[in-house]
Amino acid sequence: MARIYQIPSHARGWLTLAIIAASLPQLWGGPLWQAGLLALVLGWRALMDRQRLVLPGRILRLVLLVATVAATFYSFGRLHGPEAGTALITSLFALKYLELVSKRDAYVLIVLGYFVCATILLFHRGPAMALYVIGCLILLTASLAGINYSDTHARRRQHLSVAAVMVLQALPLAIALFVLVPRIAPLWNMQLDSGQARTGMSDSMSPGQVSRLTESSELAFRVQFEGEPPPPRERYWRGLTYSYFDGTTWRQASPPGWEREQLFYGGRGPSPDWYRALIDAAADRTGYRYRVIMEPSRQRWLYALAVPFTDFDGNALARDFRLVADGPVNGAFSYTVRSVDVTGAVPALGDAERRLMLDLPEEGNAQARALAQRWRQRHRNDGALVQAALGYFREQPFFYTLEPPRIAGDTVDEFLFGTRQGFCEHYASSFTFLMRAAGIPARVVAGYQGGEMNAGDYLQVRQYDAHAWAEVWLPGQGWVQVDPTAAVAPERVELGLRGAFDSAADGAGGDFDGLNRLPVLFQLQQWADYVDFNWQKWVLGYRQQSQRDLLERLLGAVTPLRVGLALLGVVLVFSAVLGLLVLSRRRDTPVSPLEREFARLHRALAQRGLRAPDTVSAAQLEAAVTRRWPSAAGAAGHWRRLFEHLAYRDQGAPGAADLAALRRRRRAVLASLASPRRAQ
Amino acid sequence: MLKQAWQRWLDRRLPRARQVQLDQRRIFIFPTGYGFLYLLVSVLLFFGGINYENNLILGLCFLMVSLFLVAILHTFRNLSGLSLRAGASRSGFVGGQGSVEVVLVAQRRPHRALWLRWLDQPAQEISVEPGEESALWLNLPLSRRGRVRPPRLRVESRYPLGLLRSWSLVSLDQVCLAWPRPQESHDCPADGGDRERQVASAGQSGSEEFQGLRGYVPGDSLGQVDWKGYARGRGLNVKLFEEPASGRLWLRYDRLEGVPVERRLSILCFWVQRLSRENRPFALALPGAELPPGQGEEQRLRALNLLARHGDTEAD
Repeated sequence: MARIYQIPSHARGWLTLAIIAASLPQLWGGPLWQAGLLALVLGWRALMDRQRLVLPGRILRLVLLVATVAATFYSFGRLHGPEAGTALITSLFALKYLELVSKRDAYVLIVLGYFVCATILLFHRGPAMALYVIGCLILLTASLAGINYSDTHARRRQHLSVAAVMVLQALPLAIALFVLVPRIAPLWNMQLDSGQARTGMSDSMSPGQVSRLTESSELAFRVQFEGEPPPPRERYWRGLTYSYFDGTTWRQASPPGWEREQLFYGGRGPSPDWYRALIDAAADRTGYRYRVIMEPSRQRWLYALAVPFTDFDGNALARDFRLVADGPVNGAFSYTVRSVDVTGAVPALGDAERRLMLDLPEEGNAQARALAQRWRQRHRNDGALVQAALGYFREQPFFYTLEPPRIAGDTVDEFLFGTRQGFCEHYASSFTFLMRAAGIPARVVAGYQGGEMNAGDYLQVRQYDAHAWAEVWLPGQGWVQVDPTAAVAPERVELGLRGAFDSAADGAGGDFDGLNRLPVLFQLQQWADYVDFNWQKWVLGYRQQSQRDLLERLLGAVTPLRVGLALLGVVLVFSAVLGLLVLSRRRDTPVSPLEREFARLHRALAQRGLRAPDTVSAAQLEAAVTRRWPSAAGAAGHWRRLFEHLAYRDQGAPGAADLAALRRRRRAVLASLASPRRAQ
Repeated sequence: MLKQAWQRWLDRRLPRARQVQLDQRRIFIFPTGYGFLYLLVSVLLFFGGINYENNLILGLCFLMVSLFLVAILHTFRNLSGLSLRAGASRSGFVGGQGSVEVVLVAQRRPHRALWLRWLDQPAQEISVEPGEESALWLNLPLSRRGRVRPPRLRVESRYPLGLLRSWSLVSLDQVCLAWPRPQESHDCPADGGDRERQVASAGQSGSEEFQGLRGYVPGDSLGQVDWKGYARGRGLNVKLFEEPASGRLWLRYDRLEGVPVERRLSILCFWVQRLSRENRPFALALPGAELPPGQGEEQRLRALNLLARHGDTEAD
């Protein structure tokens, strides 16, 4: 049976290229057999187009289909879910290409291609990938233009330029739609989370955990301040607090029997007492205003400076002054915060809370308890006791290192009186233990410390800025932040982790050695991050709230009527402008410089009363001029001869000098028309 | 009823003309099935973007929708400005097919992948580059004798993306003549040249008296060309013969008394065909029309056209 391939050969190249381009991101990270499948299909297809092979039969195609589904199931363990689904769609996309015969097949293939483009964006959200997808879109559109133009004279490049022009023309409206079309809340929940481990904080702390984090230079979040940012030593980004210690591990805890309403306030319902107290305390104080743009962390903890107040857009404030997102942060997420220092203005600690903050295991770490008791006897004042403890860390030979020896058993005792080498976790943990043993309510705080300014515009906080410190309750002051690590290694807090290791001669920082060596590279990295930041902020993070803010600024007020009218107006203006551009007559005729020169003389003569038809030839024009103005006969003849020479010679298009000569002769013609009139 | 109203509206909107230039009043545009599928995919992407809270997928969706809007303009543009001109026509016998030439003129911009068709014939595809003309012959089935006006011509294009179809229904002022279908008859309805009435011999023009030569004009019978002279380099000439009065055949409508009109014409047509094939001179007399004696292809066409127009009251 003879099959007629309805896809013109000049369109096939673009189609092949579009398929490869659209599949590539999936193949890059996907299982190897997918790349093999695509190679098989492309090879078969190439041989088919050269008449070396025939279209695979129905049975073979069915076998391939079943094998693909089976392989997908084998690789991903399921067929649904974003990863497996994307892999399956990409493979089916390749298989569909194999059985491409009719134009209808090509249409289906291209529509599938648009879908595959969307799946790319599910996993890759950088600006570069967005550009890449636009490239894929142009290729797919070029294939569409190709299959709709079956003329054998069509040239390949034509399709690409048609597609590129159309996509570029479509971009402005797409951007306007992006800004204006209202974002609605998800209709049903679709989580991308597939159990991949992500770096970040965890809800418990036992030695070793934060050190693993420290090695990653992945971005944790970015902060944009309104006004001056705080100095580096004050940048303590609180994430979560650990209040319960079982001897080895610190965990989050709340006083037994407390309800959620007592611990969190999300802006709905009557505000609890502690929140009203905080508001009162913060009322006449200034603070820092900033916006935090989170990277996906798959967790609900948000980071902010002490005592953050927000507009509760997707987050809630916890009683221990930290922010919690309403759901895991899986995509771009940002929130605005006003952080106020409320020291000295908070009410007293409740009994239940005080008991929790003093809670220690029944036994263990006897030496540490004894040390705390000695301090207690010496200092009646809690503040003095804290200072004594910090002095102890400062004066005793403690070392700050990212690779401390392993500790087992009574971890606090082992560290305080044995190894004395550790990082923030060890210091925060043992300090809090000592405080509790001395009868001062204390807790461990985990989060990030520091951050790096980029282009003076915003702060980047990376995973290696992860930090742990302590907070103690001092009567009259409330919760006070204490960082025992700063007592041991002040440069860790002043300069950040990288700075601390750069200044250290032993180079224990390992990974960070090379980072600052090449300033150009560093600068480039900063620029790239700047682009990425704005991308995160304006494109990925353009959500309900930011849309409302922007539209309020653009439209005055956000009402459905205004947004609807704006949308309508944008579409109409766009269509009108583009319509003029696309349909205008002037742009259509490719006019050569020579024709333009001819038209100029024609127009000039028409202004002087010589109406010649549009189709007049140079010789006829000369004759008409001579008839009307005999005095101009010579000049008109000169002009005509040069024009005909330039128009009909074989050397191709006239150069600038030729055109200038022709222009002079045209002026001479017009001048000789004018002169007899003046004489009259 | 609705169809008639539609036709009346079309006739007002797109009246019959020798030349038609397509503009916004004459072009219709509507998405194709594929266009709807494309929009469906965009809608799916919109919901995907909303549900995965992925702004880039939403962006892709908006880009696809705007591309669709841009495609409306480009699809429209592909037809807009195209001129269609009535060209020549080829007549045919009733029951067969005539054909009509349509000339497409691209003035300012290329018009690509145009499909032209009428009735339910397969479409013909053609592209015209700016400043060029392309002609296309379209077949026209001839069902009755006389002037046959072609139906509305559907000019359609889906270029560039196939998402939309723009079309126009053009009515070109063209006429195709349908000659009567030849009907064999034994008796030649002719007088003059009584000898020839039985038309038994394949008469050659050799028996007539040679008159001289004249220059060849297209349409002259090749049998009368002075080939010997041509071989000697005297140019292409036609031998002229003095036709004996008795050899002149007057095919007469009146001689077919009692036969229905169309049948009479069919019989006359048969004889015109036959005499022409035999390259014999003849003349034709119809009520109200007469064709002087002559021979050759030209004479045949004149005779056939005369037969086709018989009873036609419409002026040329």
